[in-house]
Amino acid sequence: MNLDYKKSLAWLKENLFSSIPSSILTVVTIYFVLGFFRGLFGFAMASDKDWLSVLNNMQLYMVQAYPEEDFIRVWISVGLALVFAGMSIGLWKSTEESSLSDVFSKFLRVSLAFLFFTVVAPTFSSVTDNDGLIQTEESFPMDTRLQLLIPSAILVIVFFVLKNLNLNYKFNKSDLLCFYLAIPIVLLWIVKLPTIQLDSSNQRIIPDPLMPIADTTKIPWTIIFGLFLGFYFIGSRFKDSKNMKRTMSISWVLLPLFIFSWIFKKPEIDLPTILGQDIPIFIGIFLIGALTITFINNPVVEKYFSAYLGILIAITGISLFISIPILLKSALLLLVLFTIVIPAVSSSSKGKRNLIIVWGVSLFTLAVLIRGGSSDTQIIVQQQSIFGGFSLTWLLAIFGTYVSFPLGVLLALGRNSKLPIVRLVCTGIIELTRSVPYITWLFFASVTMAVFLPEGVNFELVVRVLMVTAFFSGAYFAENIRGGLQSIPKGQYEAADAIGMSPFQKTSLIVMPQALRAIIPTLVSSAITAFKDSSLVTIIGLIDFLTIGKVIIGTQSIPVNFVGHDRENLLFIAFFYWIFTFTLSRRSMKVEKRLGLGER
Amino acid sequence: MSKKAIVSLLVLSMVAVACATDTTEEVAVEEEHDHSDESTLDEVLERGFLKCGISTGATGFSEQADDGSFGGFDVDFCYAVAAAVFGDYSKVEFKQLTSAERFTSLAAGEVDVLFRNTTWTQSRDTELGNDFGPTTYFDGQQLLGRKADGITESSTLADIDGLRVCTNAGTTTEKNITEGAGLAGATIELVTVEAFAEAVDKFIAGECDIITTDGSALVGRRAVNDALNDWVIFPTSPISKEPLGPTYRSNDSTWADVVNWTVYATIIADEYGVTSANVDSVDTDALPELGRLFGANDGELQTKMGLDAKAFYNVIKQVGNYDQIYSRNLNPLGLFREGGANDRWTNGGLIYAPPAR
Repeated sequence: MNLDYKKSLAWLKENLFSSIPSSILTVVTIYFVLGFFRGLFGFAMASDKDWLSVLNNMQLYMVQAYPEEDFIRVWISVGLALVFAGMSIGLWKSTEESSLSDVFSKFLRVSLAFLFFTVVAPTFSSVTDNDGLIQTEESFPMDTRLQLLIPSAILVIVFFVLKNLNLNYKFNKSDLLCFYLAIPIVLLWIVKLPTIQLDSSNQRIIPDPLMPIADTTKIPWTIIFGLFLGFYFIGSRFKDSKNMKRTMSISWVLLPLFIFSWIFKKPEIDLPTILGQDIPIFIGIFLIGALTITFINNPVVEKYFSAYLGILIAITGISLFISIPILLKSALLLLVLFTIVIPAVSSSSKGKRNLIIVWGVSLFTLAVLIRGGSSDTQIIVQQQSIFGGFSLTWLLAIFGTYVSFPLGVLLALGRNSKLPIVRLVCTGIIELTRSVPYITWLFFASVTMAVFLPEGVNFELVVRVLMVTAFFSGAYFAENIRGGLQSIPKGQYEAADAIGMSPFQKTSLIVMPQALRAIIPTLVSSAITAFKDSSLVTIIGLIDFLTIGKVIIGTQSIPVNFVGHDRENLLFIAFFYWIFTFTLSRRSMKVEKRLGLGER
Repeated sequence: MSKKAIVSLLVLSMVAVACATDTTEEVAVEEEHDHSDESTLDEVLERGFLKCGISTGATGFSEQADDGSFGGFDVDFCYAVAAAVFGDYSKVEFKQLTSAERFTSLAAGEVDVLFRNTTWTQSRDTELGNDFGPTTYFDGQQLLGRKADGITESSTLADIDGLRVCTNAGTTTEKNITEGAGLAGATIELVTVEAFAEAVDKFIAGECDIITTDGSALVGRRAVNDALNDWVIFPTSPISKEPLGPTYRSNDSTWADVVNWTVYATIIADEYGVTSANVDSVDTDALPELGRLFGANDGELQTKMGLDAKAFYNVIKQVGNYDQIYSRNLNPLGLFREGGANDRWTNGGLIYAPPAR
């Protein structure tokens, strides 16, 4: 212990107080950091803040007007995502272990942070009275502070001692993650929160009574966590199965589409449309694709293949502008994409059989998603769109990344292409999209896009916004990816050519993996930007997470009056965004570490 | 497999696809109707619900509660129109509109009617292709100051000389206060903000001495923030006229009649003291006007408008009369009808409806 103390003193001297300027810098910085936290706490704890305006409006924040009788759909969506997460954590189970001391040092850090906040929180905070004069009031009295200080100090000591006992039990890191996630679930059952209660004359009871968290919140979360654990164990059973991993990766890509087209939306399906329209289209297009795959090596077919491909592309191009079912349009597009790669992949009979299976499965998935996505929803909300609040923010962020990333890859490759037309078109799209502000594109989506769409085609505002978002962030992704492409030495291309790789193989096996790996940090920051920029949709009248707190809650007067409590809500929104973006950037740092980025 | 087999299979698959396109009813592609000769009423009836444009957030007028449901003075009138058209008040879809997009949204047909505290002005009525219905709320711009600055209820615009005034940028509110202060010979320091909530925050923080906007909003904020009654709203007669009411597309009198008479029905019911509680026990023989309004004698007046005979009975039964709508939403904010412009015409107010006969 003694040695430890001397060591830390030496560390302090060396790093923080090595010279006079650095000592001054240290003191000034600490002063400002403390000032910031004290100001923040003082603001949050002042008596004129009503934090229940945040807590009471959680439902509004998350799903806005989504009807309560359909909440099971929201829970299924959240549950599916967490079940998938559990499965993935199990499948890609970490082999690293941490000792009990590491665990206690983590707890020590948390309790130290708590202790720090209890110590720095100011006793007095300032409240502006009705005359515009600033009054100070005691918002965090000494005895409350002591009540918090003593247990947190005890915790700090306990964890410090436990940590230094050097207990040598080892735990798997993934198992530990599950344990950490159990903590909030247990807290859900223990913690009591102030809750708004109305008396018989509809007046709010003050002070707000402490109530356990509602069953409608804690029971679903507990069930979801149970399933999460279950699938974690199933996943760790299959952790050596390559096929399971592949299936899981594809499922992750499809999950948001499935949630937004089937679960969250509750599409209205009538059987005649499926029988008379979907199934014939599916069978027809499937047969065309399967036939092409089967007979690609037939000399007759091979001779006319490029003509066939040309006609197919022409038909698909035309089909975009005539009014036929959207399923047929997208199936044709998929057919074109498949037909382009067929010659590269299907040479052996085994390869052909696999490709037919992949073709069938992808076409079926497409059909299912399009049917769900293009059907009317049966969920009756009192407002224009069923997406509002966080569900809208999330929708925009997910699609801003999921759709625009592949688009970005294609655009970047196109811009580097040797074919002048492709290069020109891709450069044009990228430059046009990037040189116009996002807000302008949003106005374009909301006001002008109807003029550009073919006669009779009419998309909902949310869909139009998704379209411009995909192109806008796609252009940024494309430029990032192009940067990655340029970082790859010429030798790599030449080596790939030398061993006789086709251009498709060269791109997918040599170039893209290296290029993407080099630009992970920029990709993550693009994703974070897409997530945050989604709040700009408020100016075209979509009600996202930010707008709920800024505009709607501050005007509520019935049954509980929250008029003017918009500042607490803004602080909460900032914190909420921070949690998501911070987690995302931490995860990306871990990925970078695993890939050994920056070490070469 | 022979060449023949390839060809026949290919043809088969083509036929399958072709089959599908033949039997297609348009699913994703919405057919654009030519609505030019069709009244909004027919459109609404065909659609099965009313699209009502409301404000994103206006205390007492259009609010969204914690469970996502809508309420407020304007919202209740949307419910009333739905009750008149469908006999079911809940058949409304709300669209929350900012003040910038309300008229474009109406013109583009995204909403059927606006109940979005919109002031009826000459240019909006004539140039922008809107028509306005009967005024549901007579508002007017007022100012809010502190007793500490020597402001009393009887203060006038001349008394704000040398004070800092906060108001929304680029609105008629700003124009009114600059013109008004200029006429009264007061020099003011104008502080403009983006939203009214921001102006209140500045007022509370002492960054401005006066805030100004429509009286209804000022009363609402005073009720919440001012426990000591240090805040004063003045002058007693507002410095501008802000008649708020329904707005719809111009030259559609079938639809205009529906909206107007829904509003009038709530006012007539209030004149007779008929509320949603006692509407079933009304003696329609003794009160023939109510009889006609509530569908006695086959409800000829309503059916000629294209509505159900019981349309206005449903409005009163499901939503309530004008006084109920008013007191339910605005009394908690400290806004009362008595003695103001929104009182019954028999009490000297301006709320007046033509007779139903």
